[in-house]
Amino acid sequence: MTRFTDERLSRRSLLQAGTALAAVPLFGLGAPQVMAQTQPRKATKVLDFETYADVAKAEQEGALVFYCHENEAGTAAIMEGFHKDFPKIKTSYVRAQTGALYNKIVSERSAGRFDVDVLQLSDIAPALDFQKKEGYAVYVGPESDAYKADFKSNPQGSFFWTGTTFAGIAYNNKKVSEAEAPKTWKDVLNPKWKGSISCKISSSGVQYVAWYMLRQMYGPEYWKEYAKLTPKAFDSRVQLYDRLAKGDDKVCSLAEYAGYSLYKEKTQDITMVMPPDGLPATPCVLGAVSKAPHPEASKLFMDWAMSKRGQAWYQNHPNLIYGSVRSDAPPMKTGAKLSDFKLLFPTDYDDYAKMRDTFTKEWNGMLGL
Amino acid sequence: MTQTVIAGRRFSAQAVAGVVVAIVAAVLVLYPVFFLLQAALDVGDPDVRPPTAYGFSNFGGLLQYPQIIFNTLGVSFVATALALVFGFALAWILTRTNVPGRRWLEPLMVVPFYLTPLLGALAWSMLGSQESGFINQFWRALGGTGYIIDANTAFGIAWVMAFFEGSVAFVMISAVMKSMDPSLEEASQVMGASRWRTMLRITLPLVIPGVLGAAIFVFAEMLGSFAAALVLGSPNRFYVVTTAIYQLTQQYPPKIPLAAAMGASLFIVMFLMLFVYRWIVTAGSYVTITGKAFRPRVNDVGRLRYVLLAFCLLYLFVAVVLPLATLIYASFQKLAVAFPAADNWTLNNYRTAMSMNAVRSALGNSLILGLATATIGVLLMTLLSWLIYRAKLPGSSIIEYVVMFPQAVPRLVFAFGIMWAWLVSPIPIYGTLWLLLIAYITVFLPLGIRTISGVMLQVDKSLEECAQMCGAPWGYRMRTVTVPLLWPGLIAAWLLLFIASIRELGASILLMGPHSKVITPSIVESWNATSSELTAAMALIQTAVVAVAVAILLALTRRVGGHTRME
Repeated sequence: MTRFTDERLSRRSLLQAGTALAAVPLFGLGAPQVMAQTQPRKATKVLDFETYADVAKAEQEGALVFYCHENEAGTAAIMEGFHKDFPKIKTSYVRAQTGALYNKIVSERSAGRFDVDVLQLSDIAPALDFQKKEGYAVYVGPESDAYKADFKSNPQGSFFWTGTTFAGIAYNNKKVSEAEAPKTWKDVLNPKWKGSISCKISSSGVQYVAWYMLRQMYGPEYWKEYAKLTPKAFDSRVQLYDRLAKGDDKVCSLAEYAGYSLYKEKTQDITMVMPPDGLPATPCVLGAVSKAPHPEASKLFMDWAMSKRGQAWYQNHPNLIYGSVRSDAPPMKTGAKLSDFKLLFPTDYDDYAKMRDTFTKEWNGMLGL
Repeated sequence: MTQTVIAGRRFSAQAVAGVVVAIVAAVLVLYPVFFLLQAALDVGDPDVRPPTAYGFSNFGGLLQYPQIIFNTLGVSFVATALALVFGFALAWILTRTNVPGRRWLEPLMVVPFYLTPLLGALAWSMLGSQESGFINQFWRALGGTGYIIDANTAFGIAWVMAFFEGSVAFVMISAVMKSMDPSLEEASQVMGASRWRTMLRITLPLVIPGVLGAAIFVFAEMLGSFAAALVLGSPNRFYVVTTAIYQLTQQYPPKIPLAAAMGASLFIVMFLMLFVYRWIVTAGSYVTITGKAFRPRVNDVGRLRYVLLAFCLLYLFVAVVLPLATLIYASFQKLAVAFPAADNWTLNNYRTAMSMNAVRSALGNSLILGLATATIGVLLMTLLSWLIYRAKLPGSSIIEYVVMFPQAVPRLVFAFGIMWAWLVSPIPIYGTLWLLLIAYITVFLPLGIRTISGVMLQVDKSLEECAQMCGAPWGYRMRTVTVPLLWPGLIAAWLLLFIASIRELGASILLMGPHSKVITPSIVESWNATSSELTAAMALIQTAVVAVAVAILLALTRRVGGHTRME
């Protein structure tokens, strides 16, 4: 249980606060905290991975603060995996949707507050923005070599793809026969799905990549036709599958693989279709934050997350089921490997980042917002 | 000479109290409001704070959303009207009639309030969805076709909110009714007026401050209500201001200035309502507590009492029993359906919920915050109420408008103001429970002040003046005259604040830090991203813990109240 005494309001701290307030006009907001960027020349082997972090120092720091887009259970699972391996490092986290989380960290930093060690986002657009703002600490760990350049920031060291989420189509097999079920992305546009099809809201990174890739493949008309189906939009994949499994919707046009395997354990009434034209995919990007309060712990976490060990945890935990882009990644819990799927990734991430605002306006407009 | 000295002391004590309280209120409210308005007027680079340019174009952008504003006002009016009907009827039945079992019915009427609208919305979405709703599944199993109920509509949202806000209205109105001198009603009946005529012509006008206070509070709550609109409205593409703001602030890039403008525009609606409230309460006298001793009178309503009992029980069934039973039923299933197969039953939802840190530590934090907010809040709000309605200090009406600010804006938006305000503050409370405590006290100022002032308006000022004439200084008068007379209102306010803090959602979502998590956002998060069955289990655990806490606190406050009265 957190107590009020976490940051005690003593008379001294109030006096210090008053002094600091008086100093604000002279020195600006908050003195920047310095994160040591110098890396030891030799990597240390810890458990079954290598790191440039000083493990003893990381344990001395004793804490890691994680900001993450993932849901509560997923975020807790990531922290659980790390804490299990490094029990002396106490983990804590804040989770929110990518947009809200990014806004929060930018607001905090602009006010001179640097409380976060590591940041994970579900959308590469804000990650690129954060990189431009020099929000990431540049750290190239020994595990980086296991990742192709496409799966790392350019230049490397700011962030990497800690996993991949991808989506196809799913339907309720009690309401829709296999014969009439959509097989391709164009089948989704059949007017018979009007009022019984679902998707995600505009804050979703996967929905954005689906919009971007299918727009590239079939033109802007695709989404104009889709809007005529009056789709119902939700926050998370769980809500989409929940409604699909219960028959509230017949078809889900953004069926994430991770959610499918979770719900398939609950019910056999849903079927996922992998359209031959491909599965829109988006990375979850993870990076250590500059001016972090626990720099060694954040380096250690980055190496753990990049390692085979960390990636196995990300891939196999039922609340995560991330597809690993690590070159030597083992199969997922479902037995499938990421390379088994035809994934649709944007090729020009600058253009992808620029189109974000257009998508948001168009998508919100379609949903009546 | 003595009088002058006493008068001098009185003036200084009042003035000091007034100035201190006014400053605290101003810091709590105006400091974040400044940042909120700054954001609403921000037309510069959205990533740079303070803003690089100011203008009104964000307010102009609101014109793109007429349907959302219409939806919000429509749902708020319907829900407020329903809640007031429930609240007034229940308050009258349980404080003024001899309905059987009113001693145990009365505390039960508060239950819907701490069940949270989220819990109700979740339950009613399970009960009343067109396809998967349990009621509709039963209907089809009985041979019906289609559906007989659809909770995913504007009326569905208003219906769920009315049950929860109805209990708020009940608490506020019954506190006033309990403090009413029954001799006025007796006089009416002695003069030949019927029971109903007495209720309409005497009881109702006398409780107008309480009813109006409740109306304004409930309406404002509805304007800012989020969970019910999110759970029940979004499946049907029905958006209100709060759910629209939620989408605008969650997306990337977030439209914070537009959201702030949307929230700030609600100031106009709220101040209009506050103006009407002040106009009505200052136009007449509502004093019913005088120096004359009285005991609240109970009307014998004959056999009608059984009909009234049935009404109370029906309310409790629809607002409490049915939602709780639905959630209990769902929480033991893997995938909640009306007719589960044998292999669909599970205990895993409770196992998972109990193993989640979010439940354990967040619930503890929520209880601590509930106790602190209620205790500090009642003290501060009693002083503010006294300052606004009793002390004739200059500017007291301005203070009333100031403390109503948080009610005028959805807490989700007000929290942005609080976040920015305390982020730049050198006092190191950002990300701690202290910030949540400050936020709760700030956003619940209108709730506490409405509750306490509704009763305060009924206390005859002559009682205080009498003590003053006897030479009692201001502090002594407050302690020995004003506060004891206000005791029922203070207890009601304390409980309301305690429960409201524990179920708070809008501000907490944004202001929680890694070490200061609270329970309701965790439950919403679970609904958003885990499963409705696990969410049901979490919500039921929260409900059980809060029920135990409220029962203990009620017992304690009654004991303390009993001692105070004996003294």
